Amino acid sequence: MQAWIDFGEGPLFRFSFVLMLLGLGRIFVLTLVNVAEAYRRSPDKILNYREIRHKTIAWLIPTSRLWRKRPVYSGISFLFHLGLILGPLFLTAHVNLWKLSVGFAWFTLPQGLANLLTLAAIIGALALFLMRVFYSPARALSRRQDYAWPLLLAIPFLTGYLMVNNTLTAGAYQAMMLVHLYTAAFIMLLIPFTKIAHCVLVPLSQLVTAVSWKFPAGTGARVLETLGLSERPTWVDKPRLDIAPVKLPDLIKVQSQKKEAKAS
Amino acid sequence: MNRVRNFKLFLWSLIGLGAAVATARFMFGLGATTNLSDAVPWGLWIGFDVMSGVALAAGGFVLTATVYIFRLEKFHGIVRAAVLTAFLGYVAVAVGLLFDLGLPWNIWHMIVFWNPHSPLFEVGWCVMLYLTVLLLEFLPVPAESFSSLARVRTLLVRLRLPLVIAGISLSTLHQSSLGSLFLIMPSHVHPLWYSPLLPVIFFLSAIALGLMMVTLEGLITSYLYRRPPETELLAKLGRAARWIFLIYLGVRFTDLVVRGQLEHLSEGVWQVKMFWVEIALSAVIPSILLFISKVRNTLTGLWIVAPTAVVGIVLNRINVGGLVHQQRGETLYLPAWTEIIISAAIVAGAALAFLYMVEKFHVWERHPVDPEAQPKAMPAFDIASFASLGSPQIRSRTVYSLAFIFAAALGFSLLSQNALSSRGMDPAPVGKARGWNEMWIDGNLDGFGTSFAHQKHFARGGGDSTSCAICHHANLPHDRFTGCYQCHRDMYSATDAFRHNWHASPAGAALRCFDCHRLGEVKSAATAKSCSQCHQDLKPSGVVIAVKNNQAASYTEAMHGLCLGCHKEQAAALNKADLARCGNCHRERKPLVDDPVLAKRYEVLESKGVIVPKVSEPRFPGFPVPTPPESQMSLQDRP
Amino acid sequence: MKAILTDTTLCIGCRDCVVACRQANTLEPEVPRRWETRDGLSARNWTSVVERPNHVYVRKQCRHCLDPACASACPVGALRKTSEGAVIYDSSKCMGCRYCMMACPYGIPRYDWDRPVPYVRKCILCYGRIKQGKPPACTEACPTKATIFGDRDTLLQEAHRRLHDNPKRYAGKVWGESEVGGTSVLYISDANLTFLTRGRELGDNTIPGRTASAMHAVPFAFVGMAATMSGISWIISRRMDLQPKIPKEKPEDQKDKRDE
Repeated sequence: MQAWIDFGEGPLFRFSFVLMLLGLGRIFVLTLVNVAEAYRRSPDKILNYREIRHKTIAWLIPTSRLWRKRPVYSGISFLFHLGLILGPLFLTAHVNLWKLSVGFAWFTLPQGLANLLTLAAIIGALALFLMRVFYSPARALSRRQDYAWPLLLAIPFLTGYLMVNNTLTAGAYQAMMLVHLYTAAFIMLLIPFTKIAHCVLVPLSQLVTAVSWKFPAGTGARVLETLGLSERPTWVDKPRLDIAPVKLPDLIKVQSQKKEAKAS
Repeated sequence: MNRVRNFKLFLWSLIGLGAAVATARFMFGLGATTNLSDAVPWGLWIGFDVMSGVALAAGGFVLTATVYIFRLEKFHGIVRAAVLTAFLGYVAVAVGLLFDLGLPWNIWHMIVFWNPHSPLFEVGWCVMLYLTVLLLEFLPVPAESFSSLARVRTLLVRLRLPLVIAGISLSTLHQSSLGSLFLIMPSHVHPLWYSPLLPVIFFLSAIALGLMMVTLEGLITSYLYRRPPETELLAKLGRAARWIFLIYLGVRFTDLVVRGQLEHLSEGVWQVKMFWVEIALSAVIPSILLFISKVRNTLTGLWIVAPTAVVGIVLNRINVGGLVHQQRGETLYLPAWTEIIISAAIVAGAALAFLYMVEKFHVWERHPVDPEAQPKAMPAFDIASFASLGSPQIRSRTVYSLAFIFAAALGFSLLSQNALSSRGMDPAPVGKARGWNEMWIDGNLDGFGTSFAHQKHFARGGGDSTSCAICHHANLPHDRFTGCYQCHRDMYSATDAFRHNWHASPAGAALRCFDCHRLGEVKSAATAKSCSQCHQDLKPSGVVIAVKNNQAASYTEAMHGLCLGCHKEQAAALNKADLARCGNCHRERKPLVDDPVLAKRYEVLESKGVIVPKVSEPRFPGFPVPTPPESQMSLQDRP
Repeated sequence: MKAILTDTTLCIGCRDCVVACRQANTLEPEVPRRWETRDGLSARNWTSVVERPNHVYVRKQCRHCLDPACASACPVGALRKTSEGAVIYDSSKCMGCRYCMMACPYGIPRYDWDRPVPYVRKCILCYGRIKQGKPPACTEACPTKATIFGDRDTLLQEAHRRLHDNPKRYAGKVWGESEVGGTSVLYISDANLTFLTRGRELGDNTIPGRTASAMHAVPFAFVGMAATMSGISWIISRRMDLQPKIPKEKPEDQKDKRDE
């Protein structure tokens, strides 16, 4: 078992960690480039950057509208994210490993606070999972991976917590370490290619939305139809083909009229 | 266009691997990522990236001379591609050099600090200048696409002839000066290669290689883009090249005869075989094949000749660049995989840039048809997920970046821990010191060691049990006679005396973490229980040296630390300086056995090739008589 | 011009010179690495004592050639022969090409392979000390005066005197007197010291002289090549201009001409 642990600490960790970092960088850059491309192609070039900035910041700050509307959910979610990010990053044990392997270290959390954050992440994950299961609007929006993620994320936190705070036998400890390492690696491998990529895409979310509004409604569906691929994948709601699509020439006409009005 | 896409995917993967290795190279140094050593300071990155790179890019000056000086207009169709190849080749050389230089950020020093005696100084300047010339020669091509650059383009086209002449002269200089680099190493380079004519030999082979590289590049791109190859033109290049191959062959052998070095050819060393392989590939086979018109004029024939010649002449550069140097020690240099990856990644980068240029600009007569270059192409759909992959441009971005990041992650996972920490130290496990009243201490069992008068030292320490404790400071649990080597397990690096993994393993002590660490505390050696809290019998009574918890110093350090302190004191007290000198303990092996006094105490175990003390009766009854270990070390002589 | 004379018949192999060198140059303790040669020299060990058969100990160090190959090879002039005799190294100029290591006929310079910011390392004849008028640390430490420091001419006289006085004791040669144009580190010995150059006689010609002829040809090659090419270009284009114009060009070729 020690050999498997060594592999998980060494090559596997390096592979998944680097893939996570580069993958997140890649998805961020690709999103930016593709947004720029979409903007270049859209007929309407007017973007309210100030509003986009405001909205982006508002969604990140805990005093936003959502907090007032759904304080319990927001609170749990906030604590969950706090534990998820700060816990592993500033855990003394993790930082020590960095110190040993590459030679530099940074600020670490006191053990008590780290324990609290870990618990917050575990409890938060469970609560979010239960909310998805029992809250019908959430259930309606959920895909299969949305149920799996909170549970998957909880595993390394749970094993880590147990290893630090319990008197385990050597065998149990090693088994737990194995689970801890391999699930963490698995999560890191998945992060850039799944919805967890929102950890870097959040700042772009409002921009993407704003740009996508620049295209007439139903465009995507119409492209599919044109290509003879109107059968949609099962997890997407049926496209609303009933909305009469705005014709491009009309839109341009409206725009030019607007411009003329402005000029006059 | 799958050929192009797959090729680009492959190139991007190489670059990804290269990026991982490059990180290690610049973070941890050359020792971590290369097999270079003090005996072999130049390796693959000089031999291939720099020396072969410059020679491979020789097609640029050969073809510009053909077209613009000799006015053979029929080659006009391939001159642009040749100039582009040359330009990218020199950029690749510069990048390769940045990897190889120990202090790459100082590369500009060549411009400021001059040493005109140095051939490398001249090569550096010529490469810099020629790179500029090549840029100016090629710039009119991309300038076609930008109407704002029309005036620049006109100016550059007008300046073409002087530029071409400057380019040819500069190339002549540095292609040959790469040979001059090795004139300074008469005692290193094997006599079959070392010659005052090295500059001439390098220049000739560069012309031949340039022609062959232009041919090869034409063949590869015509395969990739499924465009008709310029067989007729390439055959004409071959017709010219065959004479150069012949002249080159003639010069090589005339030189050997004149210098009187032909006798080396009958030596049975591997360098001679290497010489024949190189000569066959770089001159004999290409010149013979190119004289056969059926080979020269067919695609298959060219596919055989060009790669052969390229491999042969690159082999020549690698040979001269370090492979056939007289090995200064006993080490034979073979490039590490990391070195090969970096070289490959640089070539891949140049190739990608080339493909980008030919797709984007008017390099060839006919533009290659590539959907990726067309922004208005229909979007592609992934059949499996029904997700839109966007236009071919977007799609290519998606898949190429994916290949890059996977390759980079793979590269990081393949880098060994040892490479990352850059210790460059091979483990040197330590063996038992042998003997009793007289001990033979040679930790790494190589036959070189010191004889230690155990009994005498014991007597000087007082001759009772407390005198044992002067040196013996810890025993393994349940053992009373633990040898030094059992904790100080490596000759040169500190080892873990505690063996955490063994204690924590279910197969070992199977302890729980909290048997030693305290709950809720950071688990480290400093906060854990000390050894003696569990092991009562660890210390002999009256120990002088303190035992640190988990780290045992290296064997050498432990031994020196133990002996030198007392010896220095005694040397001062008794006014016997020799007592504290290295030679007092470290003696040669041979005189040790020749010495009539020492020969009584030691014997050479011929079968094992080691020296062992003659086992005498132990003074203390009950102590085990140590037997000589089955040593693996031989009595090989040192240089 | 200062120099060191080492008499291997006096050397007892005590390695005090090695220890003194390490202290004088504040070198880190050394452990064997993958990249090190077995003669004992390394980036952290600028001198070593090589044991030869029959109790012969030979101290190995930089020879401080009178016309050093390393200094001639260095493209940025980071290595320099000083008037005091030492070949010194300016780390602020170095760019790490390691051509000096390749060029040295004795294989002396060593490299910091394990560092991200590596430098070339070798004996500098304790340049700082000899500037202050002190002898190099190794010669000061030698208990048997086997290695001594002084003016090169004086030391040469001394070496020849010893050879003359005791011809049986020595192999009749002063190593470094004329080898590769002479070196500032001289040896007299009872054994053959060609092992220091891997068993090869280097001859009395200076090593930089070997590249000098090629380097002198450089300006001529440049001007000559440029002149030849200009001439050929002029002749050929003139002949092409004078040729009667025959409209034989294919349409494709005309397209090419557009670029001219």
